[in-house]
Amino acid sequence: MRVLLVEDDQTLNQSLATQLEKAGYAVDRAEDGREGLYYAQEYPIDLAIVDLGLPSISGVELIKQVRADGKAYPILVLTARDRWQDKVEALKLGADDYVVKPFHVEELLARVDALLRRASGWAQSELVCGPILLDTRTQEVKVKGEKLELTSFEYKLLEYLMLHAGEVLSKTQITEALYEEDFERDSNVIEVFIGRLRKKLDPQSEYKPIETLRGRGYRLAIARGTPDPA
Amino acid sequence: MALVRSLRARVVLWVSVALIVLFAFTIVGLDLAFRQSIDQALLEVLEAHVDGLVAAAESDPSGELTMPVGNLDPEFQVANSGMFGAVFDPDGRAIWQSLSLIGRDFPADELPAPGKKHYAKLDVPGFPPLEALLMGTEWEFANKRTAPYTFAIAVSLEPYERRESAFRRNLIAWFGGITLTMLVVIGGLLTFVLLPLRRLERQVREVEAGERVSLTGNYPTELVGLADNLNALIETERRRLERYRHTIDDLAHALKTPLAAMRTLLTELHGKDKAHPEPQVDSLERELERMDQRVSYQLRRARASGATGLGTEPVAVAPIVDDLKLTLDKVYRDKRVACSLDVAPGTLFRGDPGDLTEILGNLMDNAYKYCKSKVCVAGDSNAERLSIRVGDDGRGIGAELAQELGQRGKRADESVPGQGIGLAVVRETVELYRGTLSVGHSELGGAEIRIELARAGAL
Repeated sequence: MRVLLVEDDQTLNQSLATQLEKAGYAVDRAEDGREGLYYAQEYPIDLAIVDLGLPSISGVELIKQVRADGKAYPILVLTARDRWQDKVEALKLGADDYVVKPFHVEELLARVDALLRRASGWAQSELVCGPILLDTRTQEVKVKGEKLELTSFEYKLLEYLMLHAGEVLSKTQITEALYEEDFERDSNVIEVFIGRLRKKLDPQSEYKPIETLRGRGYRLAIARGTPDPA
Repeated sequence: MALVRSLRARVVLWVSVALIVLFAFTIVGLDLAFRQSIDQALLEVLEAHVDGLVAAAESDPSGELTMPVGNLDPEFQVANSGMFGAVFDPDGRAIWQSLSLIGRDFPADELPAPGKKHYAKLDVPGFPPLEALLMGTEWEFANKRTAPYTFAIAVSLEPYERRESAFRRNLIAWFGGITLTMLVVIGGLLTFVLLPLRRLERQVREVEAGERVSLTGNYPTELVGLADNLNALIETERRRLERYRHTIDDLAHALKTPLAAMRTLLTELHGKDKAHPEPQVDSLERELERMDQRVSYQLRRARASGATGLGTEPVAVAPIVDDLKLTLDKVYRDKRVACSLDVAPGTLFRGDPGDLTEILGNLMDNAYKYCKSKVCVAGDSNAERLSIRVGDDGRGIGAELAQELGQRGKRADESVPGQGIGLAVVRETVELYRGTLSVGHSELGGAEIRIELARAGAL
């Protein structure tokens, strides 16, 4: 999943990006409103984290323009002011949640995770597709009740596929969601990881969870176990 | 005169003092003049009558002086007419006394020498107060013999005194009437003249109460400056508050962003070796936590403006509650909270909109956080008070916290974090508006926070 982080404090921006990357997100960083707005409009991001007190273009203005542009991805607001008027204004303009500084990184990650889940139509923190159960809170994956050991990248890939269960996802889409901008796009790393994931999820090739659509991409072929009407 | 607060009372008081002094002098002056003219008239009467007596006297052939009754003023003949006369011979014996004396002796104290006049005020038992004139004459008989005779007249002062007191009574009645009329006229005039001042006072009170943004209307020249200055003052105060809040916001940003950075860096440090966490890192985290608590609490406290709702209009409560509901519905989307709103139409808050949003935001956020699935917000107001109730179906608030919240003026930075700090700030803001916060049981089953706010400026 690709996250845009707009925060003018360099140290916070840097260390927050590190934590987000460690949690498996691809992070685009911007340090002022103008740069942030450019990324927000031009890059295929899944979620934006926006500080309200930004130089050049304020956070509120940025959110307004992104929404006016028709972008629907979730926006998480960071605010130091902790003022209800600000929160109300930001959420009215189209932000989806707020975190008050100084926050615990775990809390921020949980909010990011919840927003991404919600954006894909999942209401619970557990994603279920047929025999596969992925708990976004504990980052555990079980298949038919058996715990599965996945690497961080494999986990993120599976989460991405499950969040978009039933949709066709091109290699480019997957790469952009999981890697940062300067990643070498035409490598066949995605293919390799898909292969590994298939082996781990379905060693006996019983239900073939991940389909390959030649020239178009991949799709998680199992319908959601607990589809969320909202 | 420090006790006399009202301008009108002052003017009325001083005008009446001035009138009383002025009229006192006038009355005394007029009285003196009247008295003098009466005295003068009295003297003339006395002299005329003495002359009359002398003219009426006749020398009889025996060489004695006689008083033929027919020649005399009839008043001498009427008993107690208030006009008495007598003629004394050279030996001081009365050769004639008027009938009006009815047998009494003429009350002469001493007889003047011939050619002299003697005026006297006589106060003799049996007589009214008298003014007397005794005139000594050298009477020349036909045979050229002369003898000294004294002609005496006494007139009762009673009719003069009656006239004088009647005059005095009239004088006082007239001046009293004029004084009262003038005071009534001045009082009325002052009410009219002071009308703009009263309007000014009322408008200032309304501004203070948050019902009016500035002073408006046509003021008389003398008050225009005052009204303009007050408007400028209100505007300055409003700007000052705004600037102050900006400063607080900047400070919040400047303090909290580095705190956030430090906390994130600490998480990084922690993550490096999960099996062996550094004790120093834990301590640092605790210190950061404490700093954050203090800073948050103090900043939120500092931002509450309280009763200085100068230059703001009354705030409708319902739209703020609606906005907060939308915000919280979004934030607590997964929880699917059913929030029912029961804010009476026209519910107004007289004070700073930011303060109200803080109070409601904190209360509703707590309710959303601690409820099972239902929240209820109700509110209504009258001219003096605003009452708001926020209830939920959660487990309720512990007796300890509820009791602590009930204590007025208790500083909250030492109270429990989380629910405590938000409610503590709410309580302090409520107290700035001389309001009260109480914790009760909601019909929904959980806690209900009730707040009552007085309008700003109202006691």
